Formats: sequence, structure tokens, C-alpha cells
Amino acid sequence: MKLTDYMKDRLAVYLIAGGTWVLVLIFLAAFRVTVQAAVIVSVILWLGMFAAEAWGFTRKKSWYDKLENCLGELDKKYLLSEMVSDPDFLEGHILYEALQESNKSMCEHIAEYRRENKEFREYLELWVHEIKLPVASLQLMCHNDDGNSSNHTKYAEQIRRIDDYIENVLYYARSGNAERDYIIKPVSLKRTFADIAIRNREELLERGISLHTEGLDVNVMTDGKWLGFILGQLMGNSMKYDATEITVTAEDSPEKTVLHFRDNGCGIPAADLPNIFSKSFTGENGRTHRRSTGMGLYIVKKLCGKLGHSVSAGSVQGEFTEISITFGKNDLHDVV
Amino acid sequence: MKKIMIIEDESALRDELSIMLRNAGYDTVVVTDFENVSGQMTAANADLILLDINLPNVNGETLLQEFRKGSDTPVIMLTSRTTELDEVLSMSYGADDYITKPYNPTILLLRISAVLKRTAKVSQVQNYHDIEVSTVKGSLSRGGKEQILTKNEMIIFQLLLDRQGEIVTRDDLMTALWDNDEFVNDNALSVNISRLRGKLADMGLPDAIETRKKQGYVLK
Repeated sequence: MKLTDYMKDRLAVYLIAGGTWVLVLIFLAAFRVTVQAAVIVSVILWLGMFAAEAWGFTRKKSWYDKLENCLGELDKKYLLSEMVSDPDFLEGHILYEALQESNKSMCEHIAEYRRENKEFREYLELWVHEIKLPVASLQLMCHNDDGNSSNHTKYAEQIRRIDDYIENVLYYARSGNAERDYIIKPVSLKRTFADIAIRNREELLERGISLHTEGLDVNVMTDGKWLGFILGQLMGNSMKYDATEITVTAEDSPEKTVLHFRDNGCGIPAADLPNIFSKSFTGENGRTHRRSTGMGLYIVKKLCGKLGHSVSAGSVQGEFTEISITFGKNDLHDVV
Repeated sequence: MKKIMIIEDESALRDELSIMLRNAGYDTVVVTDFENVSGQMTAANADLILLDINLPNVNGETLLQEFRKGSDTPVIMLTSRTTELDEVLSMSYGADDYITKPYNPTILLLRISAVLKRTAKVSQVQNYHDIEVSTVKGSLSRGGKEQILTKNEMIIFQLLLDRQGEIVTRDDLMTALWDNDEFVNDNALSVNISRLRGKLADMGLPDAIETRKKQGYVLK
């Protein structure tokens, strides 16, 4: 709070005080009081005024300064009401009460949305579990119906696609949730990658994509299911964007493990590269290729963020795309 | 014939599972009444149990925990729950494997036979006619003669041997190879099979692997 601003705000008070003083002087002159006495009365009057203003200014200044300070420094501005104390002057007190009240109401409002969101997500999880039953039945029927074998791979392929889309929804819901529904434990990169490769085998073979792996014989600290989904998304992208070769390598060092997922597909234009992890971004490749929703890598990034892995991309258009995921190591886990 | 018990409340899935397992040469027992499942589990005296987690009246994990107190029959959990927590819980209650729905049928069969083998503690040496097959050494031997198989050839031969006399599709062979991190393509599979044939011929069995057109291979 600046002194000049405060004084500008108090201008009316000063004008009234000035007017009062002029009236007092007129009365004093009318009663023929000596000039000295008038001067003394004026000094006393103005000193009192000054003292009152100084006291009023300082006590408000300290509280409002703290308020502005907090507001400037907080990254979550809505926590302001928790940071300031109830001041001993009336206006401040009223403001304080109003702030508390409005904050409380906002909290209730948010709690309601949070609850709705949670209910929706729980329903979605339940729905996913339910829809997986008929999908699983269909897959087995397809397998058992081997007699008409030319159709059965075709059907199986479509069933797998349905399952992929279901997984997308599930992990999208999970990635946006504040709750912790994953477990970090040692997960074999080799095992996880093989599971994903088998899942996509028909499409990989049909497109003539060859897989190369190197150094995957390591365990990383992550959630196995989530990592599987992430690798599935990356593999889906490689297949979508004309790769004929996928090379997956892991670099293990004492502090971290870096997984490189590289393909020789169409690559990403340099201008699009910074945005590929953004929601709904499809870019140039999205326009020229089939079924791009701009969600895959966005979900991947979010899941990695929640698991504490960093993810980055490098690409040269027409040559390669490489997504790297860095897994941290925690000494504690090694001991246990 | 190994007996597998299926505990699954979704009837379509249960029936298909049963058909698939029967086709693969297992005997199956299905649970249709979900009262006192744990009693039925003990009474069935099965070699392996496929257990769903979401069951009417009872939770599969609780059931497993209870069952484990009195039996060490292998149990594979089949579930549509896809969180790591469920898997960790099931494994800690004593499940031998955990597979999420929808499952790749071939993988499911591979896992079942792996669990059965693990619990039956089959010796590391099997016999095929008068040839000794050593999985550990990856070799075939007869008399003093020994033939080393590559990893891929061993995987193929092992699967054919496990289902000797039955048709094994190329798809099954491929899945088994991929399950062992050998991401081979169609051509490589053909090459591996013809090499394996060559090695078997060397051991005096030139026509051991028969090709069934459009179906697969049979080990005689």
C-alpha cells in the first residue's frame, strides 16, 4: 500500500478537516481571539489529525502489504484465505470474513465436481471391465471357430482393435485422475515388450515390420500395466506411420535407465515436433494418415508424468522417429 | 489327461473357454453353481484351476486365499481387472499366474502348460521315440550322437513335442516364439522348421514333422 494512494483515497476526509479548520478560524476571528491562540489551536488540530492518519495508515499498511505479498507469491492463489490472519480493524475484518466465506463456498463447489468426476470414472472402470467380457468371449469364439480359418484372423484383428480403443479410454481416465492407482515395482522391460509385441503380432507381420531389441534385460521401477499401455501406443504409432523396422534399446546406467523406441517411419516435421505431446494435436501426419486422434502421445505423456518418468521425442522427417523414456532408479527399492 | 477346473460366472466365456481347452486336449470341469465354490474346488481334485476375480457372492482373491490354506493345486487368475494392484494381490495370495481379459487364446494355452510343467516338476530330459531331448542343454541325443538345437528350433520342437500327434498351427508356433522374445517373421519360421527337419533327419528321423496343408504341422 503506497502512502500517496492512501492519501488520495482519504482526500474527502482531508477536505472535510480543512473545511472544519476554516470554520474554526472564522469562529475564532468572530470571538476576537488573539492570533497566537488561533495558531496554537490550528497546530493542535493538525497534529491530532496527522497522528490519527499516521496510526491508521501504518496499521492498515502492514495487513494489506502482507495480503498483496501472499497473493504475488502463491502459485495457488485460492489458498490466500488460509495465509492471512484476521486483522484488528473493521474493513479488514469484513474483507477477511468475505474471503473465508467465498473460499468455503468454492471448496464445496469443487468437492461436488470432484465427486461427480470420481463417480463417472468409477462407472467407466466398471463399464470397461464389463465390456471386456463379451470381447474376451468373442476372441475365444473366434479361436474355437478355426474351421473357417481365412476369416478368423480378420475377426481377431478387429476384436483386437476394439480392445485397443477400450484401453485408450481406460488409461485416459486414469491419467487425469488425482488418485494413485498404480504400483511402482520392478518390471521387466523384456517381458512387457514381448507381451505388447505378441498383442500386435498380426498387424506387425502383415505390414512386414521387423522388431529388434537390445539390452532389454533390465528391470525398471514402474507400473507394469501402464508401461504396457505406453509401449502399445508407441508401437501403434509406428505401425500407423509407415515404419518397416522398430528398434527398442535400453541404456542402463547407475542413476537411470533410458528406453529408446525408434522406428524408421515417416517421421515428424520439425515444426510439429514441439507439439506432439499436446492434447488433440494431429499435425501434418494426422492429416495425411488414417485415424489420428491426437490423444495417444498426450496420454503417454500424462501417464509418464504421473509415474515420474520423463519422455522426449526426436525425429527427422522421412528418416526416423525416436521416443525416449527415462526411468529413475531408487536405491531404496534395490535394498528392499 | 489333465483336468482343468473353470470358475467363471460369464456363461458365454465359460463355455468357449471349455471348448478351447477340450480342443487342446484337456479335460474340463465347469462350476455353474456359485454357492460353496471353495468346497467344489477341493472336491474336483483338478490339476489346475482357472479362477475369475469377480464372482457372484464371493471375491476370487478371498477364495484363493482360503483355498491355499489346504491345497497347492496351481491356480491361474483370469480377470478383466487391469490394475497392477490386483495382480500383486493375487500373486501374494498364491496364484501361479495372472492373465487379463481379453486374452490371446494361444498365450493362455502356453501359460497353462507352463504352469502345469512347473508344478509337475517334469525332469529336464524328455524322450521322443528313442531320442533324449534336453531342454537345458538345448540338444537332442541318441546313443553317442548329439545334435545341438538353436533357441528357436528348441522352442518349436518343444511345442510340437508337448502336443505330439496333434496339429500345431503356424500361428501357435509363432506365438510361442514371440513369447520368448524371438520376433521372427513368416520366412524365418519356415527356415527354422526346415533346419529342425534337417537335424531330425540327421538323427535318423527324416519324416518326423509332417506338414498339413493350410493347417499346420504334426510331430509323429
